[in-house]
Amino acid sequence: METLLKIENLKTVFWTEEGAAKAVDGVSFEVGKGETVGLVGESGCGKSVTALSVMRLIPTSQGRIVQGSIYLEGTDLLALPEKEMRKVRGNEISIVFQEPLTSLNPVFTCGEQVREAISLHQKLGRRKSKEKAIEMLRLVRMPDPEKRYHNYPHQMSGGMRQRVMIAMALSCEPKLLIADEPSTALDVSVQAQIIELLLDLKDKLGMAVLLITHDLAVVAQMVERIVVMYAGVAIEEAPVQDLFTEPAHPYTEGLLGSIPKPGLPTNRLPTIPGSVPDPLRLPTGCRFSDRCPKRMERCTVEEPPMFRVGNRHLSRCWLCEES
Amino acid sequence: MTGVQATAQKSPRGLWSAGWSRFRSNKLGMVGAVIVVTLYIVAILAPLLTPYDPVTQGDIPRMRYLPPSSQHLLGTDKFGRDVLARIFYGSRISLSISFLAVAISVILGSIVGAVAGYIGGVVDTIIMRMVDGFMAIPRLFLLLTCIALFSGSIWLIIFLLGATGWMATARLVRAQILSLRSQDFVKAAEVLGAGGRRIVLRHLLPNTLTVIIVAATLRIGGIILTEAALSFLGLGVQPPTPSWGQMVFGGREVLLSAWWVSTFPGLAIAVTVIGYNLLGDGLRDAFDPRQFA
Repeated sequence: METLLKIENLKTVFWTEEGAAKAVDGVSFEVGKGETVGLVGESGCGKSVTALSVMRLIPTSQGRIVQGSIYLEGTDLLALPEKEMRKVRGNEISIVFQEPLTSLNPVFTCGEQVREAISLHQKLGRRKSKEKAIEMLRLVRMPDPEKRYHNYPHQMSGGMRQRVMIAMALSCEPKLLIADEPSTALDVSVQAQIIELLLDLKDKLGMAVLLITHDLAVVAQMVERIVVMYAGVAIEEAPVQDLFTEPAHPYTEGLLGSIPKPGLPTNRLPTIPGSVPDPLRLPTGCRFSDRCPKRMERCTVEEPPMFRVGNRHLSRCWLCEES
Repeated sequence: MTGVQATAQKSPRGLWSAGWSRFRSNKLGMVGAVIVVTLYIVAILAPLLTPYDPVTQGDIPRMRYLPPSSQHLLGTDKFGRDVLARIFYGSRISLSISFLAVAISVILGSIVGAVAGYIGGVVDTIIMRMVDGFMAIPRLFLLLTCIALFSGSIWLIIFLLGATGWMATARLVRAQILSLRSQDFVKAAEVLGAGGRRIVLRHLLPNTLTVIIVAATLRIGGIILTEAALSFLGLGVQPPTPSWGQMVFGGREVLLSAWWVSTFPGLAIAVTVIGYNLLGDGLRDAFDPRQFA
């Protein structure tokens, strides 16, 4: 598969009062053209920061990308001047955020906002762009798009607002859509609709999707490949089947173990003891070592590199060294 | 049942119509609106509302200081001119000066506040310290000095009132922009490739519009008072053009014998300022940002 997005050794820090917190600390992975990749991890592991780094939207007052490169079809995005980068945003890469409730401007109608998204990158007349906006609303299966065009965000439900956000994100037919927990803030029944819609549109438009989520159940149905992140690094990367059947990293095992399984009576769901380490106080050696049930002496001393476990299957664990 | 229907009908409404319906149910705000609208109508239709000319002097020995009567409802002044006619025509000065001066200060203040709030950092610090500096200048003295130096044309007065009143707006707009800037919809616009100017003009300023309008309305009253004070001191609009402050000044020597000469223009100033303040308070209640979060 041809590579679309290639992230190499990305490091993003945030300035805090106690020093620079390494929110993303050497992440590397690829997304192929038309591929669906899931980026999975607990809150605070650096998933969203990775996404914002790809867009180069880390607020300069808060943090900075300090190392690494991000290639989109061979172009290093980190080397582009801001003006060129603006042409990439929305046009080549788009993001759908978690919060459809606050991601729309309250003083303009939803249709106007879709129209604006279109006119940012395409020179269409007022009438043409309005037609296109309605067409986009229809594409995301907005009921009664001509009427809904004139609705303000507060007159719509969460699911509809998320549809508007998706319409905006897709209005310039990006090659890559980053969906940052697109269904987390929605009702369970609406979640499924939104995920289904995204999958459907992905096939229709032939774009790649990077789905960021903490919900393994969601990615399992949606993506082809999964990258698991922990404390700012990718710790395992594998095609979905392999990851679910033979997880190579103890952290992934723990994550899979904590998914409730229907039909199996259990009193308590297994959990991973402890919590995600503070990025300012990472344990020496492997970042997961203080919580790992399979910890060896070596783990607390030396940080493991990525080992190849199988076909397209990588794991950052000393246990995988011999294979 | 009817309540449910009412809310159901209310929902497909924009910010403005929802605010308007809230405003209409506010009695004091409506009183203010009626006063202000009436004033503008009077100012525009002044020649139709009174047969007297505000400038031409009457037969002075016979006409001066006539008390209120059916012919001259509010009496006449020192030069035999009808006080009511002068108040009607004087409203043109008060309303246009205050409106234009506030417009200047709102535009200036919004630009400065938006730039400071959006760019932030060092730029913000420098701009806001300059604003603090401007605020420290005693306004009336500056006005008096400038007018004394350059003679008091109406345009100069408008410019000066506007140019010395923008700092409060700048602070207000900056605070609004700061809190809006971190909102998700701004990030969403950046993600779609919108540039800085577009984000300020399309996404940030429109969201501060209601706050700006409310603040501007409340400021107008203050400007009218300042203009009246300048005219009272003889540095505002020059006679014979009627202005309320100058009329109050003109009647001060005969306050006990011909009380109507000062009292009625004074009342006009008070009613206008109260009208604008009631209107501003009503608008603030109707468009409080917390109500449409």
